[in-house]
Amino acid sequence: MLSFFHACFAIANRWPTVLTAAYSLAVLSWSMPADLFPCKSALDAITGQPLIFFNLWQGWEMFSPEPRSEDIWVGILVIDRNGSQHRWPLTHMIEMPYFTRWQKERWRKYCNDHLRLDAERTLWKPFVEYWLRTLQAKGHDPVAIELTRFWRPTQLPVSAALRADVYRGPWNHFVFYRWTAPERGPR
Amino acid sequence: MIRCVRWLGLPLDAFDDWVRTPVDPRPLAFFRFWFGFLCLVNLLLLWNDLPMWLGNDGVLPPQTHLLLQDGTRFNLYMFTGYNDGTITLIRWCGLAGGLGLLAGFFPRVSACAMWLAVSSFSWRNMNILHSGDNLIRIGCFFLMFAHSGEAFTLRRWIATRRAGVGLKPFRHIPAWPQRILQLQLCVAYFVAGIWKATGVAWQSGTAVGTVLQLGEFQRFPIPDWVMTPIVSQLMTHGTLLFELGFPFLIWIPSLRMPVLLVGIVFHAGLEWTMNVQLFQWLITAYYLLFLGPLFSTSTQATAVGPAATTAGPACSA
Repeated sequence: MLSFFHACFAIANRWPTVLTAAYSLAVLSWSMPADLFPCKSALDAITGQPLIFFNLWQGWEMFSPEPRSEDIWVGILVIDRNGSQHRWPLTHMIEMPYFTRWQKERWRKYCNDHLRLDAERTLWKPFVEYWLRTLQAKGHDPVAIELTRFWRPTQLPVSAALRADVYRGPWNHFVFYRWTAPERGPR
Repeated sequence: MIRCVRWLGLPLDAFDDWVRTPVDPRPLAFFRFWFGFLCLVNLLLLWNDLPMWLGNDGVLPPQTHLLLQDGTRFNLYMFTGYNDGTITLIRWCGLAGGLGLLAGFFPRVSACAMWLAVSSFSWRNMNILHSGDNLIRIGCFFLMFAHSGEAFTLRRWIATRRAGVGLKPFRHIPAWPQRILQLQLCVAYFVAGIWKATGVAWQSGTAVGTVLQLGEFQRFPIPDWVMTPIVSQLMTHGTLLFELGFPFLIWIPSLRMPVLLVGIVFHAGLEWTMNVQLFQWLITAYYLLFLGPLFSTSTQATAVGPAATTAGPACSA
């Protein structure tokens, strides 16, 4: 009985070791591809909730398993009631000055990685409504706002002439969301 | 059988020693200082845009956010609800936390404040997060439990100047938060390498050339010879080698400094060519945790407590 308590005390005394090993295994399991880590589902079932609750969730799969094969950006077109049109290339990073493109990284993340996608269509309307409010506050009177995605494929073999700041190839584009102002009734 | 169990026990004992043997406080304190500065820069870059990203009248109003969130995450919004006042709270928590980490002023409380700020904006709009935010959240979380205020603090600097004498010796500190952060960096590299190694473009050697073509990530100009198939292949396979090799080679004492230097060159190259904001700075900040041997020749560190009198294993950086 005494040896049992002694063993329990010895283990309790080693809590930093247990914690370090357990955390490392938990985050390894959390981040690994499922097909390469057989015990992932079992481990994640135990450790996933604590990792999420304490905001220790993570992902390290940037540019993988395949890097993006298309160069992309998102633009917005605003048409005012007086017919004037305003275009903003929201994430055309290569056209921005060096400091601005560094500063606007989260814009790129939001628009290129999420807003652009059909799977994330729930973001479209609130995004346009935000723009509408902002423009109205600045004295605009928009009657239509369009979100457009632009893309062109990357090419192989790798060549200096294909770099985005050099290559002047055409962009494909598609208006993926259009907001129009409700008709005004008779006064 | 018994011999087999003993053999298995040896690495476990070594690991236990490595985690529990107190360490020189300076690598962790240096990390806290530089990491705090980077957390502040990250916050200031977000400062003006926070109402747009997090506000109820921003790009992600509560009704849309409710559709996207999953799981319960500890953050300020748990207590405030969808309230725009939380943005002010995030700003001031982040500012106080960042300055505290930088100056070593109540470093655990400061780490907690910064962790709350970052966790809160991470929960409110996950679509703006990048890998650097992961490193900030994780770093702050474990700094909450670390004795990172034993060195490189404003208070210590002022006290030393007032006293007009040499620095007091540093006390050794529990190693486990530093060990966890070291292992965290290894996991990040290893997993990144594994994910890449499964991709066709990474196997064929075209991945880096393809990424360098993308205007959305392009930063400063690069020479034409970099954009050739052979250099692309070298850089692609070099990236895989580095990411998969770092987690193992870093523990070999004679290779530690060369590996860290290769890492610095690797991330400096990425910082020049690619626009990923603070990620390269944050990941290399974690390298400071491996600088134990640089300080070990100094006589200033003083072992305190019974465990500190025993020598650690060879790789106890």
